[in-house]
Amino acid sequence: MEKTPNKLLWHGVLLAILLGVGYSVLLASQSIQYTWRWERVVPYLVNTEPRPVMSPFDGVASISTDGLSVSIESDNSAEPAQVFNEFSQLVVGDGDMIFEGDVVATTNDWRLGPIMNGLVMTLKISIVSLIFAVIIGLFVGLARVSSNPALKYLSLIYVEIVRGTPLLVQIFIFYFFIGTVLGLDRFTAGAAALSIFAAAYVAEIIRSGIQSIPAGQMEAARSLGMNYAQAMIYIVLPQAFKRTLPPMAGQFINLIKDSSLVSVISITDLTKAGREVVSGTFAPFEVWFTVALLYLVLTGSLSWMVKLLEKRLANSD
Amino acid sequence: MIKEYTGDDMIVATGIDKFYPNGCHALKNVSATVHRGEVLVVIGPSGSGKSTFLRTLNQLETISSGAISIDATDMYAKDTDINKLREEVGMVFQGFNLFPHMSVLENVMLAPLKVSKRDRREVEEHARSLLCKVGLESRMTNYPSQLSGGQMQRVAIARALAMKPNIMLFDEPTSALDPEMVGEVLDVMKSLAKEGMTMVVVTHEMGFAREVADRVLFMEEGELLVDDTPTLFFDNPEHPRLAKFLSQVL
Repeated sequence: MEKTPNKLLWHGVLLAILLGVGYSVLLASQSIQYTWRWERVVPYLVNTEPRPVMSPFDGVASISTDGLSVSIESDNSAEPAQVFNEFSQLVVGDGDMIFEGDVVATTNDWRLGPIMNGLVMTLKISIVSLIFAVIIGLFVGLARVSSNPALKYLSLIYVEIVRGTPLLVQIFIFYFFIGTVLGLDRFTAGAAALSIFAAAYVAEIIRSGIQSIPAGQMEAARSLGMNYAQAMIYIVLPQAFKRTLPPMAGQFINLIKDSSLVSVISITDLTKAGREVVSGTFAPFEVWFTVALLYLVLTGSLSWMVKLLEKRLANSD
Repeated sequence: MIKEYTGDDMIVATGIDKFYPNGCHALKNVSATVHRGEVLVVIGPSGSGKSTFLRTLNQLETISSGAISIDATDMYAKDTDINKLREEVGMVFQGFNLFPHMSVLENVMLAPLKVSKRDRREVEEHARSLLCKVGLESRMTNYPSQLSGGQMQRVAIARALAMKPNIMLFDEPTSALDPEMVGEVLDVMKSLAKEGMTMVVVTHEMGFAREVADRVLFMEEGELLVDDTPTLFFDNPEHPRLAKFLSQVL
């Protein structure tokens, strides 16, 4: 019988190693006299500061009897009175003279801080690029296995060029050259560069997936009278899709991580937001650890979703 | 010379040659005719071109020269839709080639629904009756991976029959089966033959050939050497290479 490792012992070893790593991070930060100030990061995640509500013009405030709304009568009678009823703290009193820009009240509603806004941007550009990468990659992958020389070699050239040049350079080309020629905004240029880049890898994954399906499947489908497209759609691609899920998940995770490069064309994604917040807080360690954790949340939930999908598709195995 | 077609010739192959891209001469001037309702069995050593010949009959392999017509339709004529022609010609493979991502019933129903665009209820009824006929009424919701080899091959036969073909091609249908499962597949094929299906069968099952075939063909090294009735073929092999082959396998 094969010897099984002592579970308890090796879990202990694992724990010891993890604790050791954590402790050495602590020691390292102490050795450079770094003071951790995690609380500084919080306002950049979620901003809970009261927000001022300002008067748009000079006038007189009048508070309703229930105290739930305040209206400002303009000195200039041509302008209609301005009514505010969404606030949490009133600053003015009934009958007060108000000047333009005065704070009438404050609101306590929570807003996303810059880091979370960056996260939303990263999520947005990743999802858009992912969808286009899959669509483009599917067609390029199909062209790769086509017997038509034009399709085959065009797709091969595309894949080789895109895989052979750095993404950073491609983003610059898309933004400064193609973006200028076609008049694309930053987001479109960035998303297009990411899609084109990821699509080349997706195409290769799909090609290998298609080629991993035994030729007999296509033959059986064709022998039943299906044309090439029907055989692909009903028989080959569904099976290939299942087999390509694990490498596809890896590619999608790469896409999310690669999206950090669009910060070079001034798209305020998670990475760029992190850089901006660092210069405002002087807390680089905390900010970058937070940013890393947020990326991990994105990629982690993606791989979790793909795992779920794999499980659901495994019913025919 | 293209032969004159009569209504009873289901398959007419005339002087077909097949070269593979690597230069291999797989079929050498093979001509054969299959009449309506006839069962043709092709035997020969492996590498003799018998599977290649079978696969040319629904154009899974193209031919280099010669002519093939199916039910009086020239397969290589410009206006022939090969997909339409294939609906007429069912095929059963050595490796079953069931669609693993679909249940048994879906395997049988897919082509009639998507290719023939027949009514779903009619298709399902037909599929169920075919699966009953091959003895798999209890396996309809199973996936192919849950079936034995013999069961898979019977599903494959039902799947081909679902297109209501006039001709059935069998490419070594029992060669990948465990010995105890060969019988159940051969029984289904025998009952098909009895119903008058036109069949071309490549097989190593000499017993089946002797019992069911109307004519038996012997191929070796891409050449069609013998085309005879089973009695003459097995009991009185005139061709020396056939005699040698039979003495080795029987």
